Amino acid sequence: MNRIRVLMTLAGLALAVGLFFALRAPIDAFQGAYSRIMHVHVPTAWLAFLAFGVTAVGSIGWRLRKTRRWDRLAAASAELGVLFTALALITGSLWGGGVWGTYWDWGDARMATTALMFFVYVGYLALRGASPDRETAAARSSILGIVAVVQVPLVYFSVNLFRSLHQGQSIRPDGATMPTEMLVAMLVNVAAFTVIYIALLIVRMSVLKLEEQTAPVPTAAGAAVQPPQLGKALDD
Amino acid sequence: MSFWRQAGEFARRDLIAERRANEIVAIVVPFGAVALMTLPLALGIDSAVIARVGPAMFWVVTLLFAMQIALRHSAGDAPTHRRMISLLGVDPLARLAGRTVASSILLVAFMTVMFPLMVLFYNPELPPLWPLALIPAVLAAIGLAEIGTLAAEVTAGLRARSTLAPLLVAPLAIPLLIGGSQAMESLSRGGGILPWVLLVTATDLALAVTAAVIARPLEEASR
Amino acid sequence: MDVLFQVFRMDSGRRRHLSPGDELASGPQALDTRWVTIVELRDISVQIGATLVLDGIDLSVPAGTRLGVIGPNGAGKTTLLGVVSTLLTPTRGNGVVLGARLGAEQETRRVRPLIAASGHEPALYDDLTLDENLRHVAVLAGLAADDARAALGAVGLGAAADRRASHCSNGMRRRADLARLWMCRPRLVLLDEAHAGLDSDAVAIVDAITDRAVSDGGAAIMVSHDSTLLGGRVDRLVAIRDGRITP
Repeated sequence: MNRIRVLMTLAGLALAVGLFFALRAPIDAFQGAYSRIMHVHVPTAWLAFLAFGVTAVGSIGWRLRKTRRWDRLAAASAELGVLFTALALITGSLWGGGVWGTYWDWGDARMATTALMFFVYVGYLALRGASPDRETAAARSSILGIVAVVQVPLVYFSVNLFRSLHQGQSIRPDGATMPTEMLVAMLVNVAAFTVIYIALLIVRMSVLKLEEQTAPVPTAAGAAVQPPQLGKALDD
Repeated sequence: MSFWRQAGEFARRDLIAERRANEIVAIVVPFGAVALMTLPLALGIDSAVIARVGPAMFWVVTLLFAMQIALRHSAGDAPTHRRMISLLGVDPLARLAGRTVASSILLVAFMTVMFPLMVLFYNPELPPLWPLALIPAVLAAIGLAEIGTLAAEVTAGLRARSTLAPLLVAPLAIPLLIGGSQAMESLSRGGGILPWVLLVTATDLALAVTAAVIARPLEEASR
Repeated sequence: MDVLFQVFRMDSGRRRHLSPGDELASGPQALDTRWVTIVELRDISVQIGATLVLDGIDLSVPAGTRLGVIGPNGAGKTTLLGVVSTLLTPTRGNGVVLGARLGAEQETRRVRPLIAASGHEPALYDDLTLDENLRHVAVLAGLAADDARAALGAVGLGAAADRRASHCSNGMRRRADLARLWMCRPRLVLLDEAHAGLDSDAVAIVDAITDRAVSDGGAAIMVSHDSTLLGGRVDRLVAIRDGRITP
């Protein structure tokens, strides 16, 4: 319990620091105050990638070890990935509404591919939910968790691969394309959101573990079938 | 040799079962035709818009009904069948390959009926070289059959399967949809189909590699 | 475990049949390995969801044995057959079936063609004729397609070979399922309530299948809720209750 309190405090602190930097950072001359949305949008998008990557790692771990821990990691991270993808889509859409003048643009490859990635992982969670027991859920979703992660590089590089409204990668091997102060604020927020992700991941994994532990104690199969009580029923 | 013999046997079995059950001809094709009709009815009498969206609608119907074909009852294996096949020592990939071949054939047949219906209902302006677009169309059908087969395996025996499988694969099938539909667009603009053929072929190959990698774990998971 | 594993190899003589990379190209008949013990289970438990279906099962089935397992509904009989068939990996415990360690996918895959199971639910495709059903199995098992008709003839279904499975009575379907076991000639026969509801001719078919597996150096395991159905057909009888073998 204590550990969770510490984690949540850390996450809260990280959020406060990130917010401070986001509000202090200079605003983009062209985008105006809308550029501040980027301090949330970029970290959430990065975490979506990270979370789905961790889901793939958890899935591979489960396939190799078949231990519950890896499956919990994959499941918890996928839930957070879906959450952060949704946040990235919402913040991106709000930003687009202000700067591009449209909330959704089909010409933008990254928007489209991100939305598709979102639905694949919604499907991943649906697959888990539709499975009759934990083992089935783990066995089947681990396959999808490994296959679906190929979308992450596809989404990330989509701005380069297809014609797109989206700005290109901001940080490239040949240097960043934004002012240093803005970049620092952005990186602080990325770090802050990563702390939040880790905290939520650990908490969610603990909850999943507790759910498993509070599940009914294994009973012998035979206990489910009792001798018939027909005579008694007739007597009553 | 034994791989292809087994794969061929699964395809043969699926096609015989389908011929007897008649699920595609009697149910899926009429339903597909109704689906094609709904959009012009909803759009009203704006024939220019209807003509414009016809080919795209054809691909949407193809994508969604490809899942119906992959999930058809006559291709379903009960747990007893799965156990029997596993005990025969069959290569799980041969089973997936056979299934894919059968579904591809059925999907191409489905598309062969839907395309003239689309032309009839939507009256689109077809480019003179439109038959060339059949090449990426057939390749896309193979890809859709591959992805549908995998989805059918992953969701075998699960509840809400008929909705869950399309949810899982529709987003992954988008490259096939784009390749298939853009080839026709490109021909209309006087362009070529090669990039779209390459896109669809690459997707087909990626799906085949994926199937080869996950065939065994998938067999284990859906037993 | 290693010691246990060696026991199976000790007297096998022709152990090359089970070396990694070996092909079973010419079908199950190609294997002629004589095992000392066909099935050896040590402390096997299976948990499905919150239910402990098998709880510490120890079981040894020597070659040439017809083993009967009796127990009430829900005792874990079918799950036990699932474990022995190698298709169900136990949650806990070790086991070796036909020389393959349970849970070792590569090894179990290799011996699976030597195992065949039949239950109360025949593994038939409704839209196919009986002959097509059997041919399907024959081709997949690497046997000659003509073996199908011969097997149907052997179980007395020669005249009904071209009838669709969905148009056959339950008894005929059960016989067709037995024809599959006759055709595949498994070394380990697993029968789940296979005698229930069969006429005397069909029971004779079951007996022929198990007798042949035993004389081939294999074994048969038959489970039933009713010991009278197994009476006189087994060399050894054990009871299972609440997932445990009881004396």
